[in-house]
Amino acid sequence: MMKRTSGNILYLLLFLFLLTGAEAMAQQRFPKPEFESGYVQPDPTTPEPRSMELEYVDVLVLLLVLSLASWLAVRRRSRRGLLWLSIFSLVYFGFYRNGCICSIGAIQNVALSIFDSGYAISLTALLFFILPLFFALFFGRTFCAAACPLGVIQDLLVIHPVSIPSWIRKTLGFIPVIYLGLAVLMAATGSDFIICRYDPFIGIFRMDGPFLMIFLGVTFLLLGMFFARPYCRVFCPYGVLLGWMSRFSKWHLTITPSECIQCKLCKDSCPFDAIEMPAEQTYRTPEVARKNLHRFILYVVLIPVLVVFGGWVGAKSHIFLSRVHPDVYLAELMISRPELKNDVDNVDIQAFLESGETFEQLVERATMIRNRFKKGSMILGGFIGLVLGITLMNQVVFRNREVYEPHRGNCFSCGRCMDYCPVEKR
Amino acid sequence: MEKKDKGYNRRDFINNGIRLALGATVAGTAAFTLSRSATGKDYVWQIDPFKCTQCGRCATECVRSESAVKCVHAFDLCGYCDVCSGYLKPGAKLETGAENQLCPTAAIQRKYIEEPYFEYIIDEELCIGCGKCVKGCSAFGNGSLHLQIRHDLCLNCNQCSIAASCPSDAISRVPADEPYLIKGDFTKGEEKG
Amino acid sequence: MKKRGLVIVVLVILGVILGVIVVDFLNNRPDRRGRNPYALEVDQYRKVDPSLVRYRETRNFDLGLLIAADMTLYNNHLYVAGNSLLVKISLDGTPMDMIEILPGATSVEVDDQQVIIGFRNRMASYDHRGTLLHQWAVPGDSTWITNLALKADKIFVADAGNRRIIIYNRDGEQTGEFEGKSESESGHGFIVPSPNFDLAVNSFGELWVVNPGKHALENYTEDGRLRGFWDKAGFDIEGFLGCCNPARIAVMKDGSFITSEKGMVRIKIYDPSGKLISVVAPPELFEGGSGKAPEVCVDDQGVVYALDFDRDRVRVFEPIDN
Repeated sequence: MMKRTSGNILYLLLFLFLLTGAEAMAQQRFPKPEFESGYVQPDPTTPEPRSMELEYVDVLVLLLVLSLASWLAVRRRSRRGLLWLSIFSLVYFGFYRNGCICSIGAIQNVALSIFDSGYAISLTALLFFILPLFFALFFGRTFCAAACPLGVIQDLLVIHPVSIPSWIRKTLGFIPVIYLGLAVLMAATGSDFIICRYDPFIGIFRMDGPFLMIFLGVTFLLLGMFFARPYCRVFCPYGVLLGWMSRFSKWHLTITPSECIQCKLCKDSCPFDAIEMPAEQTYRTPEVARKNLHRFILYVVLIPVLVVFGGWVGAKSHIFLSRVHPDVYLAELMISRPELKNDVDNVDIQAFLESGETFEQLVERATMIRNRFKKGSMILGGFIGLVLGITLMNQVVFRNREVYEPHRGNCFSCGRCMDYCPVEKR
Repeated sequence: MEKKDKGYNRRDFINNGIRLALGATVAGTAAFTLSRSATGKDYVWQIDPFKCTQCGRCATECVRSESAVKCVHAFDLCGYCDVCSGYLKPGAKLETGAENQLCPTAAIQRKYIEEPYFEYIIDEELCIGCGKCVKGCSAFGNGSLHLQIRHDLCLNCNQCSIAASCPSDAISRVPADEPYLIKGDFTKGEEKG
Repeated sequence: MKKRGLVIVVLVILGVILGVIVVDFLNNRPDRRGRNPYALEVDQYRKVDPSLVRYRETRNFDLGLLIAADMTLYNNHLYVAGNSLLVKISLDGTPMDMIEILPGATSVEVDDQQVIIGFRNRMASYDHRGTLLHQWAVPGDSTWITNLALKADKIFVADAGNRRIIIYNRDGEQTGEFEGKSESESGHGFIVPSPNFDLAVNSFGELWVVNPGKHALENYTEDGRLRGFWDKAGFDIEGFLGCCNPARIAVMKDGSFITSEKGMVRIKIYDPSGKLISVVAPPELFEGGSGKAPEVCVDDQGVVYALDFDRDRVRVFEPIDN
């Protein structure tokens, strides 16, 4: 068996043996001491997480709250009912469930599970994402009225709402669209869940949390006394989706139960500037109509331009955006400042060096992620361009409105306006 | 009058169409998501003790002021040593005074069992999950001390803020029916859910 | 107008919120997160007084695809066991021969008569041509063989799982066993908290066994009576630190010990009475590894061969001539 061979052949043989002789190197536990005093070894305790059944109870509660809220808003027309229901939701989803899981954050779970096949979304998260959207499609944003704890906590603190000029509102209303796009991009690339990171009220629901979280929460609430529901109107990315659904809802809360008598009593009742006035006569002149038509055509033509431009800007900014991903940032950092490798206080770099992964592997991974960002940022830019175009287009869509109506996209279905309407139900 | 009705009908028709399209989109998204990962399972966050590098962020990054991460002792792996590198400061004398203890909150209790064995128990009330003892134990001892997310404390946030800043990607979601990765039962590189 | 003022205030606050979020987001980055306030500081022990280091790493060679488990030095050749092979390597790293052995070897010893391989709970002996002579099971549920030593017709087997030394003859028959227990003050026996349990027979025929739980080297007679010991615990360079050290030992011609430690890996030389003579390899040479103790061998010229399991290389340390 033993014979002299050259080194190379030896190692070749060795490789063949490796294939046959390799044994599983599982680390097995080493026998512990044999105790003579009758000592019994304790087991590490393992407190169980919240049970699965309770998660389904959450979904059930959400379903019931949404049904009840829709009924209260559309059929029963009860502001008081909605108010009490919203308080229940605040207590249950907010203070009892600590605000997690919520429909707003579920956007990210859905986005991640679509783009990362390795991620398994829980049924609860998916249902929390889907149910309010379907309800909005049929009954308007009743989720915002009475089911969302983030909305409710702000709604209860509306004290002296000021009316914001329309152009400012519309400009601010663009932030949620960008936020939504960014959140989906970050989640889809596995970089971060920014909606959860900057959820302002979760610290208040838990009555515990880091300073920034509490600070943001309190600031939003204080601001909300004068600018009603600031998070919902200027940040909430889920509100964007709900708004789209609600715009085409089958039924929706109406201010008056039968015929509007143009009494204007409801005019200032909405703290969210979501009531649309009857169109003034001037809009109806053929001159204005023609002008609007021209602008409409211009904007329609502009949409593809905006989409392409947005896509171009997005693609240009992908390098900047991709730095959100920790791997990309780390790879860049280690290239630009190689001396940090010797900085024992840089926890992230030290942990990477300890991990046994090579630098080339990290760079390869980072490059892959950046390429994904390139595509994603382009789509994000195009998406923002598209929404901008459609928003502009909607500016000149003429609707023959003769009565006071809630704006279906912006109305939270809180029901305040109904209380002001003197018309009796027929 | 007739013309007006037509107008409304057209608007209704468009609205219905768009509603159908939106509904189909939402349903489609749900169906796709489900087909991608049809799981009725629930997931919770947990630390892979073999990936953990004891960076100390578990003590500071948890959204709760009392971190849900605590040190657990996998007694199966413990050598019950007299001189425990997870218990004593490097170079300290073998005395149980707080100044000789490695733990910043003196959360490890040392109990004499029999010559020459000692038992080390974590007082979870005091433990802040900093992982200093874990470092000492895994660098110089058997590695029986390690960090775990305690599910009586963890709120199971949608995004674990410790995981977001974990430098070694040691925190991931595990199936809720096996919520702990305790060393001994759990071995390095073990396939998990 | 009062209302207009309020609107401006609202917008300013919104701007502040947005700004705070953006700034926080951009600040939470790997180069701006700060150090670990709970870091375990052992750097002072990593640094070794350079005047103590009297060895220099002169060369090293890799083992190809062999996943090495143990190494021994016999007749100016290294024998490395791993996978299902025993490879004979010249001292300059050239593979010379190999024999096929049973898979799963944990330890190897070679002398004039035989090649002895230890497995987790089995033993096997081969002749130098690679013919299997004997193989036998080592009894016990928790048997965990870590190392071997040979003397004349005796095979000393260190069983870390049962904390005992078993003695076999060359036919595989058990002739003795001891746990190091005695009535004397230091007589608890072997304390082995982890699978690190080494032993060696020196050129004077003395059997030395590491008692890793006590950071001690103990000298036993062949029937298991403790003849003498020395121990050194501590983080300092003079001592053995942590649990289960020294994890591996080798003996020099003059009876001095080469010790190899796990955790903070360091290789040192002690005289037979336990006095630190010099440092072969300070911890900095093994940084970034898993902390597994290298297997050490020493030749007649005092050259130390360390099998670095992390790098899968044999690293050669030669004395610096003054």
